[in-house]
Amino acid sequence: MVDTEIILSWVLRIGVFASAIIMTVGLFVGANVILLGVFVLALTPFVRVLMASLCFLSQRNLVYFIIGLYVISVLVIGTLLSL
Amino acid sequence: MDPLIITAILAFGAFAGLIGVMLGLGGGVFMIIFFILALNIPAHQAVALSLLAVIASSSMGGSVYVRDKMTNVKLAMVLETCTVTGAVLGVFLALAMPASYVQFILGVVLFYTSFMMLRGRRAVETPVVIKDRLTVSGEFYDDNRRQTVKYSAIRMKIGLFFSLIAGAISGIIGIGGGVIMVPIMNLLMKIPMKASAATSNFMVGVTAAASAFLYLNRGFVDLYMAVPSVLGIMIGAYIGTRLMVRAESAILRRMLSVVLVFFGIVLLLNAGGILVW
Repeated sequence: MVDTEIILSWVLRIGVFASAIIMTVGLFVGANVILLGVFVLALTPFVRVLMASLCFLSQRNLVYFIIGLYVISVLVIGTLLSL
Repeated sequence: MDPLIITAILAFGAFAGLIGVMLGLGGGVFMIIFFILALNIPAHQAVALSLLAVIASSSMGGSVYVRDKMTNVKLAMVLETCTVTGAVLGVFLALAMPASYVQFILGVVLFYTSFMMLRGRRAVETPVVIKDRLTVSGEFYDDNRRQTVKYSAIRMKIGLFFSLIAGAISGIIGIGGGVIMVPIMNLLMKIPMKASAATSNFMVGVTAAASAFLYLNRGFVDLYMAVPSVLGIMIGAYIGTRLMVRAESAILRRMLSVVLVFFGIVLLLNAGGILVW
């Protein structure tokens, strides 16, 4: 049985530290690298919602799996429409 | 960039992250006010930087609160269906509607919720527990009271409706929406303050992410200011999680009502055209 909390905590931690490191390196390397860090940060909530949804799927909790799919779909559609 | 400005952004970001994570707010409104008033940055850029800061504090705070099982992940997912829908609608509504109306309404709402939080401050939180398949329940360990607190979310339909409104307001103004979600969860749905704060903190990153790419894509993000702002808020957010678990719920509620009055005043000034973003 997967522990949803531990997985989500790791997703957030990796997103936070990866973006922090890339952005800091970018200060010395250039704006494009900072932008990469900004993208990693801005994508972290997307990955978090997707992973939560997949965790519920692996627990055969279909109601929450669908709820998660709905949230990620609205996020993605909203983002694509705003581009 | 001037090292003094970088230090100021780092320090203020840490402050916003600390208060934000303790109370379940993303810290976005603090950052907007700081960027506009202290650094004189144009409104759209201030909002763009603050949305990134909200994602940073939500993710940093979330990584700790989720691990410590303070966050109710199921409740967050259910409410997110409404906040995210609202946020996406709000982003488009913002183009058709003057933001000042929304700010005025939110200002009044924040005054009212602040009053409600102060009024209930002495009452000991007595969470409701319902054993029902459809009710979202949860529990967390309160370090301050040294006991496990069990609770259920009541008034789910009204909570979902207000979450939709909260999401729409967030999308229009460009915030994470924690200032609305924490009172909804704590006052309306009777979720203990700490669980409300941790769950709201988890949710605001998603609401902010719904509008972040719009601002990123239009090039509103000043990348060199984003670095100290994001790093500062991450540091503050980490410290905030440590302080929150030990704090007394009543004190958190009192802090929140003070912050809500402050934001209420700022939003009304903004709506009145005195402090414009």
